[in-house]
Amino acid sequence: MEPLIATHDLKKVYRIGKVSVPALRGISINVQEGEFVAVVGPSGCGKSTLLHVLGGLTRPTSGKVLVDGNDLFGMSDAQRTRFRAHKIGFVFQRFNLLPTLTARDNILLAQQIGDGCNPHRFASVTAMLGIVDKLRYRPNEMSGGEQQRIAIARAIVCEPKILMADEPTGNLDSENSQIVLNMMRAVNREFRQTILMITHNPAAAAVADRIIRMRDGHVVSD
Amino acid sequence: MIGRMIAQNILRRPIRTVISVLAVAIEVGMVMLVVGLTHGMLHDSARRIGGLGADVMVQAPHASMFLGMTTAPLPIKLGDRFAQLNHVQAVTPVLFQFDSSGVSLIWGIDMESWNRVTGGFAYLRGGPFTGPYDVLVDDWYARQNHVRVGQTLHLLNHNFRVAGIVVHGKGSRLFIPLVTAEHLAEQQERASIFFIKCTNPGYTDDVIHSIKELLPNYTVLSVQEYMSLLTSNDLPALTDFITVLVAIAVMIGFLVIFLSMYTTIAERTREIGILKSLGATKGYIIELILREAGVLCLAGIIVGYAGTWAGRMLIYTTFPTVTVELTVRWAAWAALLALTGSLVGAFYPALRAAQLDPVDALAYE
Repeated sequence: MEPLIATHDLKKVYRIGKVSVPALRGISINVQEGEFVAVVGPSGCGKSTLLHVLGGLTRPTSGKVLVDGNDLFGMSDAQRTRFRAHKIGFVFQRFNLLPTLTARDNILLAQQIGDGCNPHRFASVTAMLGIVDKLRYRPNEMSGGEQQRIAIARAIVCEPKILMADEPTGNLDSENSQIVLNMMRAVNREFRQTILMITHNPAAAAVADRIIRMRDGHVVSD
Repeated sequence: MIGRMIAQNILRRPIRTVISVLAVAIEVGMVMLVVGLTHGMLHDSARRIGGLGADVMVQAPHASMFLGMTTAPLPIKLGDRFAQLNHVQAVTPVLFQFDSSGVSLIWGIDMESWNRVTGGFAYLRGGPFTGPYDVLVDDWYARQNHVRVGQTLHLLNHNFRVAGIVVHGKGSRLFIPLVTAEHLAEQQERASIFFIKCTNPGYTDDVIHSIKELLPNYTVLSVQEYMSLLTSNDLPALTDFITVLVAIAVMIGFLVIFLSMYTTIAERTREIGILKSLGATKGYIIELILREAGVLCLAGIIVGYAGTWAGRMLIYTTFPTVTVELTVRWAAWAALLALTGSLVGAFYPALRAAQLDPVDALAYE
């Protein structure tokens, strides 16, 4: 079966002044549809860069990324932006909800930007994540765990092919971390949602089906 | 959803919102009041010149068409030469005096020749001058300033007794004897302008022709021509003045909206990163910023209209004889200029926001 995500010899070098800092040194991985994959490794190993590249947020220095059969960086910026709106959802460590909007509006915003999303999905996603009674609140009126569940709802409300999570439990206490991880697991099972999760927390990684370990820009085990 | 985001952004930054709205309001108010004031005063002046009943007016060479700016360079004896021309029924000299304390143009008139040219005043109260420091006021001035016959008015650094209140519409709102005006201006036997009445209005062009032959460089106009010049919306002498003031007003609105949106973008870099991570296109972000600027601008236009109305009331209270002519045409122009200035001012910040790198924007503290 063709993988949902495939990378070939992916390299990313940041230039800071005259200094070149390699973040990815030739990553080749495949992720199948429906998989829950955790990418783990110490700080600075390149795992966040990998997520940004796979999500089309940052262009790699060289190499290829195929998502759902499409060459992500063979597209124009505008095409890649539209592709991201329909195929990829993001969850971040800092939740990244818009502070001026209610939880409901934060989720609906993703539906509006993703133009053509199934409007009935909103009810099923919010019910499954247990946030129906939180929808009228603004981010600063909710706990970190609640905010992260809203962020997950926002990320999956348009039925993206892939959910990319960057340290989703990094700002949460252990109780809320477990709730969020259970939710992600449930989303993976119930909606057959492909998830790529970056974490440095072994307990969080243990929830995943598969663990990719990185060090110094390389995959050291898969 | 964009509407709700814009509303929340506007409400969450009240000081920025108030400053932006006020800047646009000042822009709109400035355009409307400046244009309204200049056109209003000119049109009012034109109506009152028309009400004199004269057919021809003679000024010195290169004289300003704005009568208040005219000095007194004409020898008064010229009036005798005009009176001898064919088809001239009567001639009257007028000496203008500008009273800065009340922003009024006072006409010094020779009552005998004035009556022959204009048919005389219609007195509502009191009567003609009886002394050198008598003043006649029109009913409009009297009503606005609560002036009564016999009252003393301080004009041109002297006290004048109000001798009579006349029906408005003949030249000025305040009249003093010509000899007094000459004395105060230290301009003996001089006039600012001559008004001439023809034996028949049909001879106006003939009389103008005769005067131009007699005094080739002098400014000689029919009253009708002068009125049509003043009531023109594209008065050449005013176009530059209005253009400069309108440009200043537009620049104020442009710069404030530019700075407002520019700082807003800096504050909201992270939010823009979030929108980009959700798949918002450059067009979506540009639209968001421009619509926000548009809403601020529309609020500014409404406040500007209200401010213009209030400004007009204030002008009427402070300077009762001044006319501010507000027109739908200039209200629309002011709104269009404000909207254009605001959108142009917001465009660069919007473009900058749209071009932000999503990863950098998300990492922004």
